[in-house]
Amino acid sequence: MIHAICSRLLGSLVAVFGASIIAFLFLRVLPGNPARLVVGPLASEEALQAQMQRMGLHLSLPEQYWRYMSDFILGDWGFSYGAGQPVLVQFGNRLPASIELGFYSFLFAFLFAVILALVATYRRRPVVDATVRAISVFGMGMPPFWLALILLVVFNEALGIFPGPGLRLSRSIEPPPEITGFITFDALVAGDFRAFANAFHYLFLPAVALGMLPFGYLVRLLRANLLDITNEPFILVVRSKGIGPWRTFTRHALPNAFIPTLTASGMIFAQLLGGSVLVEKVFNWPGIGSLVVDSILRKDFAVVQAFIIVSAVIYVLVNAVVDMLYGVIDPRIRN
Amino acid sequence: MRADSLKAFARILRGNLDLTVSLLILLILAILALLGPLLWPHDPLAISLRETLQPPSLSHPMGTDHIGRDIFARFNKGALISLSVGAAVVITGAVAGGMIGLISGISGGIFDNALMRLMDAILAFPPLILAMAVTVGLGGGLETAAFGIMLTSVPYYARLIRSDVIRIRMLPFVEAAVTAGAGPARIILRHIVPHTVSTLLIQAAALFGYSVLALAALGFVGLGTQVPTPEWGVMITEGLQYALTGQWWIGVFPGLGLLAAVAATSIIADKVRDLVDPRGQYAQL
Repeated sequence: MIHAICSRLLGSLVAVFGASIIAFLFLRVLPGNPARLVVGPLASEEALQAQMQRMGLHLSLPEQYWRYMSDFILGDWGFSYGAGQPVLVQFGNRLPASIELGFYSFLFAFLFAVILALVATYRRRPVVDATVRAISVFGMGMPPFWLALILLVVFNEALGIFPGPGLRLSRSIEPPPEITGFITFDALVAGDFRAFANAFHYLFLPAVALGMLPFGYLVRLLRANLLDITNEPFILVVRSKGIGPWRTFTRHALPNAFIPTLTASGMIFAQLLGGSVLVEKVFNWPGIGSLVVDSILRKDFAVVQAFIIVSAVIYVLVNAVVDMLYGVIDPRIRN
Repeated sequence: MRADSLKAFARILRGNLDLTVSLLILLILAILALLGPLLWPHDPLAISLRETLQPPSLSHPMGTDHIGRDIFARFNKGALISLSVGAAVVITGAVAGGMIGLISGISGGIFDNALMRLMDAILAFPPLILAMAVTVGLGGGLETAAFGIMLTSVPYYARLIRSDVIRIRMLPFVEAAVTAGAGPARIILRHIVPHTVSTLLIQAAALFGYSVLALAALGFVGLGTQVPTPEWGVMITEGLQYALTGQWWIGVFPGLGLLAAVAATSIIADKVRDLVDPRGQYAQL
């Protein structure tokens, strides 16, 4: 068991290391001198050289990489010249909003995917099944930023039942004392249910827009796996022992069909953080996605590089957690 | 085509309504893309300031945008761009990813390991961000956007083809070919590669949707296709600022086009997999 965990962690480190090297090399081989972007096109040659010294660009590539990574681990993530702020400060301001949005869209995708997949396969009603499959195909085919637009048009502009873009909490409501930066969580800790409901209200539309694609994918996956499992002989055995259809389904078919869904869920959850970019733009959500897109467009690569490493770490961590969850679901994997 | 296979094809179409409808949708989109300028002779770039922001009507089936351009004409041009670039991305990605998977699966050992760790590292990137960074780095524009998206899709092909190759390599018919004296090149090209084609095609069909959506996403943030070229993602961006003041049609129609194209290809990919794979649930051939 310890051996398995260690080799898993080692593999994770290799993936993060690889991603950081690719990010680093990629941003170095790009045409254009990063120091030139900082000092501007009119600066003298001396000023350029001095800036290159300050940014460490005169060193060899391995030295630069070593410096960047050791600084990164020590908490110095570089300086964003576009925003005039250290990268770490920007991330601290914006990452919680994105993680919160990602969490709720994942919750939406996962819960509804499980419910719909159960409805589609339970007792095999063809019409219900076809409807669920159609919903799943549409969910996967919708561009998230377009769905965000439609949701805004329908629920904000036409019906007026959900708030518009730009905020995480109404201005009239006092934000809960900041602990984690996740407004809904902080509100619950402070026992402020009015703030919780309000923040949830603001989160709802962007979470649905962001969660629709993973939702469609998970429904499809879980439905296919459930169908496969219910064709297995052991399900017939369980039924012939007199166990009712619902219990057979929830206790015997579902856990067996769940492993691939769990794997996919892990990848999806990790990807949601990077994928929120476009939805954040439509909803003007003050998260990391819109910051990264703006930084890419401004060629402010310190932010992009840090984002790539952070998402690689999140991706690897989530997948490691998923691997450990296998054992919870499937006793055969425990040893 | 032989009459028999045509008949078989017609039988499959009759038995699979969703497949038929999806093929029809793609056919309609392809016709609009290729013959659009003939069927609806409006210039997608022609500005008409007397007809700005008109809702859909008989003279403008999808309405007009903020400078009076006909959205139906722009929709058709957008279909041409999205579908052809999507196809180009999928074909180049499948060839590159397939080659990597093939080399990795055949060589094995350290080389295989290194290639697969490289693919893992690319997968650990958020794909859209990587595609955007590549696009900006190479100077922006439609071609670089297509290249960036292609790059992010390569690992998906490579991993799948690698596992296919490893499986096929162990099958008795390959052993038989070796015994019969076939050289490595002949075994790879004549005995292994043909068996990976169906996997590659199905994966390509599945990734077509991703490619089209990613291209629109890059257009949406202002990379890739540049204004005034009517690419669907760019059109949705243009519609965004008018959506909240009631002019919904500018952004809605290109999104519907994307939805139709992606949903149709994913249904086709699913169905073809079911029909080709005899263990599949809906095998009918």
